[in-house]
Amino acid sequence: MTIDELAKGVQEGKRRHLAKAITLVESNREADQQTAQDLISKVRSAKETIRVGISGVPGVGKSTFIEALGNLLIEEGLKVAVLAVDPSSPATGGSILGDKTRMETLSSKDEAFIRPSPTSGTLGGVAKRTRESMMLCEAAGYDVILVETVGVGQSEFEVASMVDCFLVLMLPGAGDSLQGIKRGIMEIIDILVINKADGDQEKMAKNAVTEYQNAFHLLTPKYDGIGVDFLTVSSIKKKRIDEAWEKIQGFISALKEKGIFEAQRKEQELNWFKRLVEDEVLRRLWGSETNKEKAAELVEQIKKGEITPVKAAYDFLSSEISR
Amino acid sequence: MSDNSSGKENWKKGVEKLLKGDKAESLNRQSPEGFEIQALYDSEDVSNRNVDPGYPGEFPFTRGPYSSMYTQRPWTIRQYAGFSTAEESNKFYRQALEKGQKGLSVAFDLATHRGYDSDHPRVVGDVGKAGVAIDSVEDMKILFDGIPLDKMSVSMTMNGAVIPIMAAYIVAAEEQGVSTEKLSGTIQNDILKEFMVRNTYIYPPQESMRLVSDIIEYTSEKMPRFNSISISGYHMQEAGADSALELAFTLADGLEYVKTAVESGLDVDAFAPRLSFFFAIGMNFLMEVSKLRAARTLWAELMKEHFEPKNQKSLMLRTHCQTSGWSLTAQDPLNNVVRTTIEAMAAVLGGTQSLHTNSYDEAISLPTETSSRIARNTQTIIQEETDITHTVDPLGGSYAIESMTHDLKEKAKTIINEVMEMGGMAKAIEEGYPKRKIEESAAIKQAGIDKGDITIVGVNKYVNEKEDPVDILDIDNTGVRDGQVDLIDEIKAKRDKVATKEALLAITEAARSGEGNILDLAVEATRRRATVGEISTALEQAWGRHTATNQTIKGVYESVYKSDKGYQEIKSKIDAFSEEEGRRPRILVVKMGQDGHDRGAKVVATAFADMGFDVDVGPLFSTPEEAAKQAIENDVHVIGVSTLAAGHKTLIPDLVKILKKEEAGDIIIVAGGVIPVQDYDFLYEAGVSAIFGPGTNIPKAASKVIDEIRAKKA
Repeated sequence: MTIDELAKGVQEGKRRHLAKAITLVESNREADQQTAQDLISKVRSAKETIRVGISGVPGVGKSTFIEALGNLLIEEGLKVAVLAVDPSSPATGGSILGDKTRMETLSSKDEAFIRPSPTSGTLGGVAKRTRESMMLCEAAGYDVILVETVGVGQSEFEVASMVDCFLVLMLPGAGDSLQGIKRGIMEIIDILVINKADGDQEKMAKNAVTEYQNAFHLLTPKYDGIGVDFLTVSSIKKKRIDEAWEKIQGFISALKEKGIFEAQRKEQELNWFKRLVEDEVLRRLWGSETNKEKAAELVEQIKKGEITPVKAAYDFLSSEISR
Repeated sequence: MSDNSSGKENWKKGVEKLLKGDKAESLNRQSPEGFEIQALYDSEDVSNRNVDPGYPGEFPFTRGPYSSMYTQRPWTIRQYAGFSTAEESNKFYRQALEKGQKGLSVAFDLATHRGYDSDHPRVVGDVGKAGVAIDSVEDMKILFDGIPLDKMSVSMTMNGAVIPIMAAYIVAAEEQGVSTEKLSGTIQNDILKEFMVRNTYIYPPQESMRLVSDIIEYTSEKMPRFNSISISGYHMQEAGADSALELAFTLADGLEYVKTAVESGLDVDAFAPRLSFFFAIGMNFLMEVSKLRAARTLWAELMKEHFEPKNQKSLMLRTHCQTSGWSLTAQDPLNNVVRTTIEAMAAVLGGTQSLHTNSYDEAISLPTETSSRIARNTQTIIQEETDITHTVDPLGGSYAIESMTHDLKEKAKTIINEVMEMGGMAKAIEEGYPKRKIEESAAIKQAGIDKGDITIVGVNKYVNEKEDPVDILDIDNTGVRDGQVDLIDEIKAKRDKVATKEALLAITEAARSGEGNILDLAVEATRRRATVGEISTALEQAWGRHTATNQTIKGVYESVYKSDKGYQEIKSKIDAFSEEEGRRPRILVVKMGQDGHDRGAKVVATAFADMGFDVDVGPLFSTPEEAAKQAIENDVHVIGVSTLAAGHKTLIPDLVKILKKEEAGDIIIVAGGVIPVQDYDFLYEAGVSAIFGPGTNIPKAASKVIDEIRAKKA
């Protein structure tokens, strides 16, 4: 398949082509990286889309929630893409990607595209790949992009930095003294959803909402005049999933009214640009053979106490900074 | 006896002389169950363990539930069978009964198990395969035509669609003129194990437990001679559990059922005597004999401790056994006759109440007339040509057997205690604990076989180079389905539509409200000619269909295997491929159709991931369309189809067709599982790149898959 054929297929919304394009973006080969960038430039679309990040600890029911939400969106006539990022898979070796077993009805729908991705050894990390895959999905005509991530490591912050709305799922019991919430996460949440609010747990979930509301009250809001929203749902019983969607839409409209929506996307792109430059500089810096040798030399000297770390850093950079 | 200890010392010295310096203890082995198997047991081992097996027919029933055992009447030869249509199966049953079989055991097709009528679009490849298609009471009446249900005990392996099937059986008997109190037999009705292994559930766990409880209630009132449940460890062993896990999880399931029934208001003695069990018997002869003895002992103790029944019969574990299907090989299949015989002996020496012996061709396809006859005769020969039945519990008192019975019992008790601490089996299953333990055990065993630590004759040792093809039974799946669909149409045209609809609504209502006995209502709906699928749907409307959260373990296979040279070679090969390709080889492991046996798929998934593949695991019960869509979206290199229920001839060609249509013909397909050699050419022609039968060495298969991907790219 040539790059033009691939681009055309993506723009026509062909599943096979979109999937191949994402593979290209995910590839660890440098040659593929060049091609991927050409492809993305060719297909960039100005389509109006909604990007939602969905996070939560393992077992909170992310997949079940996405299954319920995704089906609802499709009923409303929208096309949904789900990109699943699992940073818990090992750094080396293969991974097991079982997400779709938990999104059985959604994964079989024509209007849905679901792509779980392994994380091992990706150039540029999780964020780069997901961001670009998201653009490809948009070019292929998907209206809503759901980015799923496990609440582990840095992935939540990465995902929050590329979506319009960041939604975190919590368990009913976790409201107890907010132990379930990670440091720094509160600042990036737009909507907090207590899942599994059914049967005996319904009341517990409501109590949790009250506790969270009190806790969030003390925070400076992420956006002026738009507070964090709370709600309880039962994904498995499909209860109040429609409310969750209303809240997401409400949040997006508020962003748009205040002119934040576009500005935020622009800012995300700018940050992304900076981040890429930094990553690339670092990669080249540490990647070149002469630098590696020089660094090794200096490391030895530091170890022996022949040079201070600060002096070594200056030496290293002054010899290479011109490049 | 006084110089016992010096006797043992002398023995040790003798052994050590033979071993030329090694300690006698070096001959002891570690069992997979996690205790030591001694090279020799003596009277001291028995007395140290404080073992007193007592007498048969007496608490704790170690030596048998009944006092006379086989000396009065041997175990029931109960062969599990069913295929194609009710007519075909009926013919088969009647022949078998003439030839010495004593009880019936019905195998239903997977569509029926999952509560779909034969005309449902999801079950196109499953109708009449791996069991008989039953859509309504009319089919059930044909199935038992000429078989008097007041005299014949009937065992039915049904868990998911247990309500409409029980109802169809009851109404078929009623229309034969046989009332419920005369019916004898067993319904499997063991839903807990379906959530761990086998996966033929329909509704969520809690709702499913209500059905179990309703059946126990109904039978305890109206069917005094019928076993309301058959608590099954069989499928756990088949899924990879060792004997201790099988024993522990089965008894823990049993306790959970008793608890549920007691909590629903039943007196323990009203139903506990009608509980029955079902174990697998594998190749570890002494361990399996000990397992049945330990099972009876432990059950009696546990029941006494937790429920204090007044009736002795409530303490008594009665069991059916089946020889292990997993132990059978597709290679050199006549060896399976020998394996089955050894396993049958273990079941009998362990004191089973009834037995199914597998046919030698079951690792390849459905049994033929010849293979069924030999399987049945394996039992009649043990019963009538040997002296094994002449003495009750002939191995009782053996130092080894008594010690192993005790050790296995203690091991199982420890596991049961862990389960109890989690809040019982229902909770443990919710957390995925037993499933994980069983899958770990399976992966360890597979690695042991691939590495050659565990011998399987004809597979990884003493391989027969030139295999003769075996005759197989092939079902014309499309023909069966067409016939079934016609019959459904006819029933639906003839019945009183309003009456049927009312009866079905009553079922949905009872499911929603929690009031009433659902089996009772289903019997009425069946009288009014509601179909199996309709009754299942009536419940589904209230409860939905259950979707399993599928967890797959990682790292266990490698932990056993990593030191092996061959293993490192394949890892390097995969790494090299990843380097060239810019990503790891990606495989979708998928099961299509209604077959829920996922041991093979799980073991392959975990082993392939350990070796360096990125593995996508498809949902159970996929259609070819769904599998193709997932493969395309994930852009896999290869789809691995795991098939054990004979649907491959319909489902795989469909998959190929869809991939081609979606411009994804470059995704290669490999197949594994139970596939007769006769079908290989058909599948290769359909576009399958490689076929891996039972006993395939997994690293070799992985290597072949890489070669096939490369070949396709070239």
